[in-house]
Amino acid sequence: MFEIKTLLVLIPALPLAAFVVTAALGKKVLRQRSHVPLVAALAAAFLASLGLLAQVYRQSQQAPDAGPAPGHESAAYEKIVPLWTWAVVGNAYTAGEGKLLAGPAESRDFRIEVVLRADPLTAVMLVVVTLVSLLVAVYSIGYMHGDPGYWRFFTYIALFVFSMTMLVSVSNFVLLYVFWEAVGLCSYLLIGFWFQKPEAAAAGKKAFLVNRVGDSGFALGVFLIWITYGTLNFHDVKVAPDPRAPERTVVYHDPADVQNANLAGTQFGGVLGRTTLDNMAEHPRLYHGAALVAICLLLMLGACGKSAQLPLHVWLPDAMEGPTPVSALIHAATMVTAGVYMVARCAPLFAASPQARQVVAVIGGATALMAAIVAVTQTDLKRILAYSTISQLGYMFLAMGTGTLLGVAAGMFHLVTHAFFKALLFLGAGSVMHATGGVIDIRRLGGLRRVMPVTCATFLVGALGLAGIVPLAGFWSKDAILQAVRQEGTAGSGSTLYAALYVAALFTALLTAFYTFRAFFLTFYGPTRIPPEAGRHAHESPRVMTVPLVVLAVGTVVVGALLEWNRVLERFLARTPSISFLEGAAHAAHSEPGFDWSIAAASTLVAVAGIGLAGALYLAMPALLEQLTATMKAVGLYALSAGKFFFDPIYSLLIVRPLEGLARLSAWADRVAIDGLVDRIGGLPPALGSALRPFQPGLIPFYALAMLLGLLVLLGTMLI
Amino acid sequence: MNNGELALLNDYLVVGAILFGLGVIGFLSRRNMIVMFLAVEMMLQGVSLSLVAWGRFYNDLAGQILVLFIIAVAACEAAIALALILVLFYRRGTLDVIAWQDLREADQPPYAEEEFPEGPEEVPPRWPSLTPAGRPPETPRPQTDYRPHV
Repeated sequence: MFEIKTLLVLIPALPLAAFVVTAALGKKVLRQRSHVPLVAALAAAFLASLGLLAQVYRQSQQAPDAGPAPGHESAAYEKIVPLWTWAVVGNAYTAGEGKLLAGPAESRDFRIEVVLRADPLTAVMLVVVTLVSLLVAVYSIGYMHGDPGYWRFFTYIALFVFSMTMLVSVSNFVLLYVFWEAVGLCSYLLIGFWFQKPEAAAAGKKAFLVNRVGDSGFALGVFLIWITYGTLNFHDVKVAPDPRAPERTVVYHDPADVQNANLAGTQFGGVLGRTTLDNMAEHPRLYHGAALVAICLLLMLGACGKSAQLPLHVWLPDAMEGPTPVSALIHAATMVTAGVYMVARCAPLFAASPQARQVVAVIGGATALMAAIVAVTQTDLKRILAYSTISQLGYMFLAMGTGTLLGVAAGMFHLVTHAFFKALLFLGAGSVMHATGGVIDIRRLGGLRRVMPVTCATFLVGALGLAGIVPLAGFWSKDAILQAVRQEGTAGSGSTLYAALYVAALFTALLTAFYTFRAFFLTFYGPTRIPPEAGRHAHESPRVMTVPLVVLAVGTVVVGALLEWNRVLERFLARTPSISFLEGAAHAAHSEPGFDWSIAAASTLVAVAGIGLAGALYLAMPALLEQLTATMKAVGLYALSAGKFFFDPIYSLLIVRPLEGLARLSAWADRVAIDGLVDRIGGLPPALGSALRPFQPGLIPFYALAMLLGLLVLLGTMLI
Repeated sequence: MNNGELALLNDYLVVGAILFGLGVIGFLSRRNMIVMFLAVEMMLQGVSLSLVAWGRFYNDLAGQILVLFIIAVAACEAAIALALILVLFYRRGTLDVIAWQDLREADQPPYAEEEFPEGPEEVPPRWPSLTPAGRPPETPRPQTDYRPHV
């Protein structure tokens, strides 16, 4: 069997190879066969991820299980795979007193090492990313069939999968930032895939620019981490003299080597490394104080940009201009969850600063509620799903904001299940678009269940999963989040806040069920309405598109219960080094799996109520719907929702217009002042030339006279 | 060093200077290429004369030998210069140096002779004339923008 190291390198390398092959051969050679390298690579990468997951699971179960000892010797498992050193700047860090993590102040180099890591968190993310990518790639064979940019599409997807797998497996903040940007680039390229469409080009630009705001925060956070901690590694390293050439040093990354007392050398604690986390109590300044809050908030700003949270969520609904498989893969299942992954990875930092944690929870809760309200009145199916994605990501951040193992594990759980049912819903919407000739406005659709039964059935599964109906995926993960929030709301600091957020989350669940089934009923039920754009061939999608739908639907049905059973995911994630230090982690291995019936009952109740309301309003009693709409319009809620809380106009007024004005001013100043000055200076030599040019008339007597006069002047000066 | 030698040197130098000055004036004021060439020769002879005078004054033959060289070189130069002038004359049909001003700057207007009216133009009296008979004789006149005669 393969080693962890081989698998870990193989998983990003395969999509990268597919990217190179498709980019080189796609246009001329592969053409309509451009999907072959990518699908093959992704299938292999998925198998490798499964292998990796199995290996990590087995190894982590064998890790020493010491229990809640005073030294926090927790049963974490990580495998560090150093590849090569990217950059070294010697003696770059000068520390103030009390700032350092473990390790001496002097001789601390700035090293960027390309280091991959395997731990439960990474393994789970890798499996999700490769599985969803594989299914979406297969689906795209049918969806993108005949597109002139066929090869380009698969090239970008390959690059994206490479970047995303690297993003979740690197063990260093610099590389995390690099691949964070790389997935942003892929997102930009794929949103603007049909760049001939002005809306698509503008949406790509908007996504890129809004993400810049978040990424600048992330970059500042990384700088601050370097200043505060003097390292950017997640893990501990040990620097020791090279046994073969003692004047040089080697860096040992493997946790076994780092812990090895016989290995003479200096140990440097990583930001999220075991040494640091063990010493948390002894070095309180490291994990408390303003610097930590600033780091957390800056990282959260980055996560807000990438994961479309308030106030940087405005790009995601517009990103639906891209091809639908892209929306499913990048803007629902994987890339937008990078922020959640990052917060989960840095969970000890957030757990140690209650202020930052509460900010995360409030942003998550507010985003969830806001996006759910907006989704209620949208008429574009993909936009409904986009706002739903924002809302569900808010849920995940709400869970992360609790800062407990229960919350972080619940957030990751929701990330996994959400990847299944949201990808399923998006691909279902893509299937609808495929049948209707690109029409996605639910007011113009209806009764499609007779035309496309498979799409309808799988969409129903996805919608039930999203609404949170037993026993589908969303039910379990949403309950886990609610449970974590309520636990935080009953005890601990800021319990009122979390109690309020719990209520908001429950209300969001109601809205989620309502808007999901509103879209479902309008699209698939009611009188058959097929827009004229479909022509006469409104049909079920080909097999290559329905099979991924069915696979995802099966996943949506089973994955929630499978992972919830005996809290296997939570226990597994608790073995991740950074998560293993959270409050309650030490007890997780021993505590009985608790299942809160009251929360399950409440969430099921609101979900059923939402579905029932949607069914009643849109299928049974249209008169009531009109009445209700009129009431909402009178109150002003309708305009608020349909206007998407007016974020775009407000940003346009507050930021875009002033910047535009500044840009115009700068352009004017550049044109008039700077260009004018340059033109003046440039005009000097010609002016001088035209003044001197009459002295070259071509007349020989003139030259002779000039020569004579010159001679006289020369003689005169000699005489004087 | 007696006064006679000094006076002799003085006289020769004066004559040489006059020759040189005449040459300069001639070179500057005339436009016929041959006349200009003659003026240059005159300047050369003025210099040669002063060389000879200095040579005699210092009782040194080097000055006179140098003048012999100058004469030889001037002969060659005359041959070449006259050949060039001939070629130029064939090109433009005139010896006027103003005909050759092609090497001026690109945007400079060519120097053109300005015709100054010398007074109110007199109307020629109309005499009775015979009806012309036959073909008028063709006298080719070059169309130039400069004065045909110097």
